[in-house]
Amino acid sequence: MGKRESFVSNLLRIEVQEDNDSIVAYWSGKSVDRNPGKFITPILVGLLNKSSDLKKQIILDFQQLDYMNSSTITPVIKILERAKRGKAQVTVLYKKLLKWQDLSFSALEIFQTRDKRVEIKGLQ
Amino acid sequence: MKRSMRLAVKAKWGEIEKIRNKSSRFLESHGLTSDSVQALTMVISELIENSMKYGKFTPQKNKVTVDIHVDEDIVIAEIINPIDETAYKHLKELDKTIQWIRGYQDPFQAYAERLKTVSKKPLSDEESGLGLTRIAYEGKAILDFFLGEDDLLNVSAVANF
Repeated sequence: MGKRESFVSNLLRIEVQEDNDSIVAYWSGKSVDRNPGKFITPILVGLLNKSSDLKKQIILDFQQLDYMNSSTITPVIKILERAKRGKAQVTVLYKKLLKWQDLSFSALEIFQTRDKRVEIKGLQ
Repeated sequence: MKRSMRLAVKAKWGEIEKIRNKSSRFLESHGLTSDSVQALTMVISELIENSMKYGKFTPQKNKVTVDIHVDEDIVIAEIINPIDETAYKHLKELDKTIQWIRGYQDPFQAYAERLKTVSKKPLSDEESGLGLTRIAYEGKAILDFFLGEDDLLNVSAVANF
């Protein structure tokens, strides 16, 4: 069992689980703050730094997320863009059966790298 | 059953979640699928967020009005908020963005362009600028606006479902 840390802001919860070879951020609830980046960006930057120091894969798991405003997408895509330009291995997981998740997250495939180092994956 | 719903709420960020819930229930009561309700509620939320961000509110004019109308196969959402002359620059941006989105045959292309642009901005930049393109792409809605009497800005989204 690895380390687990919880971060909560308003209706959004991000649980970070660190294991031997990966760091998973489980998102749940709703992200509806006016400036969600203030809460999300430091968490994602922390994950990116840790993953490059410890050579661990980052998994952003959005399957349990009920809603996010467009301001929430901003810090996520900024991190994907930086991961794409760097060496980190980042996988985004979403629930393909939820239409809104499918539309929102499949659009992020534009940040995918050919070698799938950055990967956007819809799960059934 | 009433086909229209009007809500007038104080321009406080915390009110948005209440409007989201009421809008969802109203749309569900008209038999829309849960996917359509999700998409349309997102459209309404994004428009209200914009109205609260860019509206100019005073103690006398401190409300955002939300009108939702359900017809045979379309839903029209109108969000009305006060502005003043200091917001005219924002109106030009709004007009430019709506015209720019309409220039794309497939709204996904506009959304993808926006995603690429925004992703390259500094992490500290809090401006999102994704809301309108997200409405066009995920909500499959057509956006429009007009400035009415008394400097009331009316932004509408028309979506087929």
